[in-house]
Amino acid sequence: MQVKIIIGTIAFMLTMIVIGFISLLEPARMEAFTEAYTGRSIENGAELFANNCATCHGIEGRAEECFDPSSGEPTGCIGLPLNNAQLVCGTRSARMEQLEWAGTKQDFIQSTIASGRVGTAMPTWGEEFGGPLQPNQVLDLTLFVLNWESEELCAEPTPEPVGWPATVAELPEGNPDNGQDHYAVTFGCQGCHGQVVEEGSNTIGPWLGNIAEEGAERVEGYTAADYVYESILNPNAHIAPDCPNGPCTEPSAMPGNFAQQMTLQDMADVIAYLLGTNEFESSAEIQLPE
Amino acid sequence: MATFFDQVSEMGLKQATIAKVDESVERLTAGMNLNDIRAALRGDEPRRPNPRLRPHADGFWLHIRPSFYHTEVTQIYPSFRLGWLSTFMFVWETVTGIFLMIFYTPSPEVAYQDIWNILGNVPLGQLMRNLHRFGAEVMVVVVALHMLRTFITGSYKHPRQFTWFTGMILLVLTLVLSFSGYLLPWDQLAYWAVTVAVSAAEAMPGPEVLGTNVNLLLRGAPTIGAGGLLRFYLLHVLALPLLLAIFFFVHYYKVVIHGHSLPPGREAIGEDSGKRVPRDERTYFIPDILTSELMWTALATLFLIAGSIWFYNAPLERQANPLVTPLHVVAPWYLAWSQGWLKLADKVFIAFVFIPGLATAFFVMPYLEVGKSRRYASRRVGITVSMLFIAFMWMSNWMGSPEYRVQSSPDQEVSQELMPQEGHSALKEVPYEALEPGVYRPGDVVPENPHLTAALAEFEHAMMQRSCTLPGTDAPWPECRVEETPTGVRYGNNFTDDAMPNPDAWLTIDNKQHNMRQLILTFEVLDPDNPDRLLYDYSLTGYRHELSNYEEQ
Repeated sequence: MQVKIIIGTIAFMLTMIVIGFISLLEPARMEAFTEAYTGRSIENGAELFANNCATCHGIEGRAEECFDPSSGEPTGCIGLPLNNAQLVCGTRSARMEQLEWAGTKQDFIQSTIASGRVGTAMPTWGEEFGGPLQPNQVLDLTLFVLNWESEELCAEPTPEPVGWPATVAELPEGNPDNGQDHYAVTFGCQGCHGQVVEEGSNTIGPWLGNIAEEGAERVEGYTAADYVYESILNPNAHIAPDCPNGPCTEPSAMPGNFAQQMTLQDMADVIAYLLGTNEFESSAEIQLPE
Repeated sequence: MATFFDQVSEMGLKQATIAKVDESVERLTAGMNLNDIRAALRGDEPRRPNPRLRPHADGFWLHIRPSFYHTEVTQIYPSFRLGWLSTFMFVWETVTGIFLMIFYTPSPEVAYQDIWNILGNVPLGQLMRNLHRFGAEVMVVVVALHMLRTFITGSYKHPRQFTWFTGMILLVLTLVLSFSGYLLPWDQLAYWAVTVAVSAAEAMPGPEVLGTNVNLLLRGAPTIGAGGLLRFYLLHVLALPLLLAIFFFVHYYKVVIHGHSLPPGREAIGEDSGKRVPRDERTYFIPDILTSELMWTALATLFLIAGSIWFYNAPLERQANPLVTPLHVVAPWYLAWSQGWLKLADKVFIAFVFIPGLATAFFVMPYLEVGKSRRYASRRVGITVSMLFIAFMWMSNWMGSPEYRVQSSPDQEVSQELMPQEGHSALKEVPYEALEPGVYRPGDVVPENPHLTAALAEFEHAMMQRSCTLPGTDAPWPECRVEETPTGVRYGNNFTDDAMPNPDAWLTIDNKQHNMRQLILTFEVLDPDNPDRLLYDYSLTGYRHELSNYEEQ
């Protein structure tokens, strides 16, 4: 019996020593688990992004290299760039300011993914709003998007602003063939406005096949070229009357960042394509974006 | 009666306090004072009347325990302490389970995060979870061994048939209890294993409405969701433990009533001497058995804690997703035999004829096998059958194991081996720093990078099993066995009938984000009869974040 008491006591003491020993390591272990959880969440987010988001936002989230989900053919990107210093760097984005968003950036991205964006091609992804993703998957995606924030990206100097001329006539001569390319692929206009040659192919924005005539009549004192030029630079300047789902909504669903994405030549090409002419008449000075 | 103050004035403070403590101890132990305890610990003979019997007679805790055992049954053989250990494991699971319950909510929205919270935010939380899960598996083993021991020593024979019967109930409850806990972490492993198991109810013979409704009753909805999780939770923490506790007491009451059976060789054939213990063969509960049990408690605790820290890690896969079925769904190992049987026969037969029939046979076995002798020599047939049954279960378990599963295409199997959706693999365990961007072929040696080299060796090994070399080419795989079948040509090797002929496969590692790598496995296999066509064309992308830490967790 004495032997049993000794064995039992030693086993008990060893147990206590082992527990005491691992208790010392607990804070580090817990930290590692919390980090691993975030890391794995981001990995899941990457997978979800590749399967669901890359078609419109681009494989690297730069609104480049988009593709058709069924055929895999390259198409223009309808989505906004997400791997973008304006969105992921800092604690607040311009859009959050515009909406007077009171929550954090994570809340903002998470609710945008879950509930979509009204009036745009961005659908609701959250299960609770009829989408396919569970709340945890929406969080995974959010963390993945936020994880694009890196020293490298955020150190990138903001691109030199293009000096937009006050009248459309000052643009260089446009090339309609390049414009068609820009319209369909580079800037993805076609994703919302549809094909120019086919009325009714537009999905979100107004159809632009007749903009050469319509544009000249919409605003007093503007030529069609003035109207198109101003609308691309500042989508909220004029709201078109007819969108596929009824009157176009205000504020416009069109991204407001083409002024930063396009060069003068790109702009001239697109306008030339839409109006079917490479010389633009101007009758008014447009209001330039800030 | 004299108050404490009277005693102080009579005997002085010191003596009065000692007397008071002595009295309290005697009350608490229901009969043993300090001197009696000291004498028991020293191994002295008890005074008369024996105070060591009073805790059994007057106290609650020991009233169900016998006050003495036959010395023959207090050795390791014949009981191996397995019955006691089963009870210990049940208490152990209850205690660790209650600790986990504090941090757990049975709802699909939060259950999975709760488990991560236990792992990442609760001090000793991972240990508790491992203890509970490891304990559950140990409990299944201990209970099964207890049953095996009872069979081998013939302890189920008259008059202990009903003890065996209740023991069978406890075995079934233990298995169901263990399996019902499987769902609670709400990860992919849990969700799909339980979905598959519960769907067996759908195969129920008889009117279709019956199977559908039983299924509905278990799942709480057409698919397992909030309702199903809550049901499994309540089964796991309330209904089953309660039933188990009740039947445990029935079982143990029978054990005490009949006494522990002696080793078969120690009693005459047909005699049951467990209850008649001669005075000189008694080992008293206090102090010998109690000491022994305390020692076993300390040893079992040490074993479970050390095992859970150094040798066992409770798995946790990704959160359950009803839309994504993992490639291979496996039952827990202690139920793998059932999965093995499903490969032998129709699931209606297995689930509703074979398993219930086998269970019934076990329940009624002691009432049918009425041979009088418990001795091994008289029970050659019975013991042989039991050994054959163990061999059969072992085989069945192997057939239910991942090695014996239905194989998908070879490119997917290799991908699954290297980058499984869930669980561990050689490639997943390569530390982040060792994943140098580049393009690697199976078996490549990466200088100064043993981790990646090892993973690529594993890649080569997996390819070796599922690839073959066509005659006249110099690919490094085993030679192809080409078979013409009505559906086309089949290529095989020594391991499989479905191998990739002269495959080209590579692993691409590049940067996805500043702290995340992208791993792409690509397979391209040309059709040897038609070089324009790809026989296999597959790629699988995986991601690896700097912090994911698969190598340690």
